[in-house]
Amino acid sequence: MSKNLRAVGRWLQRRANDVAVLLIGTMFVSFLLQIVFRYVLNQPLGWSEEVTVLCWVWVVLWGAAFILSDREEIRFDIVYGAVPVPARRAFTVISSIALVVLLLISLPATWGYVTFMKREHSAYLHMRFDVLYSIYVIFSVACIVKHLRLAWLALLVRELTEADAAAIVAIDGEPR
Amino acid sequence: MMPSHFALCIIVLVALAILGLPIGLSMIGASVFYLLVSGLDLGTAAEQILNGLFNSYVLLAVPLFILAADLMNTGSLTDRLLKFCLVLVGRFRGGLGHVNVVANIIFAGMSGSAIADAVGIGKVIIGMMTRGNRYPIGYAGAITASAAIIGPIIPPSIPMVIYALVSDTSIGYLFLGGVIPGLMLGVAFMVINSVIARRRNYPVEPPVPLREMPKITLEAFPALMLPVVLLVGIYGGVMTPTEGAAAAAGYALLASSLIYRSLSWKQLYDVLLSSAKSSTSVGMLIAGALVFNYVVTIENIPLSVQHFITGFHLTPIMYLLLVNAILLALGCLLEGSTILLVIVPILIPTAKLLGIDLVHFGVVVVVNIMIGLLTPPFGLLLFVVANMTRQPLMVIVRESAPFIAMAIVVLAIITFVPDTILWLPRVMGYKG
Repeated sequence: MSKNLRAVGRWLQRRANDVAVLLIGTMFVSFLLQIVFRYVLNQPLGWSEEVTVLCWVWVVLWGAAFILSDREEIRFDIVYGAVPVPARRAFTVISSIALVVLLLISLPATWGYVTFMKREHSAYLHMRFDVLYSIYVIFSVACIVKHLRLAWLALLVRELTEADAAAIVAIDGEPR
Repeated sequence: MMPSHFALCIIVLVALAILGLPIGLSMIGASVFYLLVSGLDLGTAAEQILNGLFNSYVLLAVPLFILAADLMNTGSLTDRLLKFCLVLVGRFRGGLGHVNVVANIIFAGMSGSAIADAVGIGKVIIGMMTRGNRYPIGYAGAITASAAIIGPIIPPSIPMVIYALVSDTSIGYLFLGGVIPGLMLGVAFMVINSVIARRRNYPVEPPVPLREMPKITLEAFPALMLPVVLLVGIYGGVMTPTEGAAAAAGYALLASSLIYRSLSWKQLYDVLLSSAKSSTSVGMLIAGALVFNYVVTIENIPLSVQHFITGFHLTPIMYLLLVNAILLALGCLLEGSTILLVIVPILIPTAKLLGIDLVHFGVVVVVNIMIGLLTPPFGLLLFVVANMTRQPLMVIVRESAPFIAMAIVVLAIITFVPDTILWLPRVMGYKG
């Protein structure tokens, strides 16, 4: 990867982090406001529950799409960690391609479901549900791209040395 | 004979997980595969995940409890707490070991995550214990990892929030049910620490002069007040546990920024980001479980398990023992939230049928899963502590063994004597 491209990547990563921090911060603040308004001022807020739940859904799927590396997610890595590097590469290629195929097949139906929800509106903020739920489409597409890249890298890097292996595992996470 | 669609789904799930795909994604992939071969609408995956996450209001407690613990670890609350514990129990043989356990008990009253406790308290106390080679580093790591399991057993507790979601039990009563088992574990660990300290002649800390006590207590006071704020808020009927979690995080933010003045904007950003990351990794597991549990439900799996198990005419206590054995074995291999979200829902209907109280069942399950965090080869706490101490995993495992054994004894007691769990919730009005 060229130097500029990597700089762009790092910049994008920081902005993606900003969004996650904003979401979790908004959730936190709305909760505090809700508590203050309900118990101190005795004036329950209607919108706060909706905002907090919304931030939760978005932070999970946004985070899974753009923040968390595959290696930071909860995995069952007893077998993966025990096999030699070429087998790991094969593991990654097989599992990533399988996931990509399954997500690609379900993408039209996912799109259908999310756009179908445009008729529904949230109770307090009257936001359209297709907008609120669009994060799942974003998440699906991001997952497809991420795992295509993982499979590609695992397939392509030949004659693995220990350092290469670490780099593969550490594509966008910490080396193990 | 063609294997059933569900059997194929399980095969795909296990295969993807073993190949190293994150478990949440493996569950989503396997469920999509099931929908595909069964000819069902593929949009169901999106529907289950989105509606499930959207309607799981109680789960918001998870990121908030993570946030509260992170804020406390970033501010100097943990340090002050440890100083306070040193005054309380440092003067006994193996004093710093006791300090470790007591700090975890107090910390447990504000944090719901064992990993956060081990990292937060461990960072400071492992340094204290190993300074001048007073305690072997393996022992310091082992007692840190072991004591950290008390965190999610004494309220608040992230695993209990997840259990409440899958079992439809009251979070408030579950939390109360964990108090006595948590204290029992604390006492058990201190007994072990005393015995080992005497045998290996571990040092005694010089007693802190009495005139310094008020100052140290005062410094620790805002930190000590946090569990009080939280418990009074929830059990005074003032707040829901989720709001309690927000209040705890809010309090931790105020205490570390205003009272202790030890939190910068940069640190706040990092804490929020790390909380977002933890929320995502737990959330993805929940997302996967939402769609996978949908498959399990339309296949009527819990009912089949129930039929299968009732065929053996088990008594409730035999069933509990069986569940304990299964979960302890699984705990060696799987991460706790996975067990809670995937395995436990299958076990609950049978427990209900046998007349086992679901609060009792829940606390037993959570204690069991916490022990799983300590059992090799896949005890998460072992990895965290081995990483912190830069020791091989085996050193920590060997030193943890007596603590694990003691924790299993406590697990047996609370399994056989439901009152150890149910007494406190009943005093507070639980009608189970």
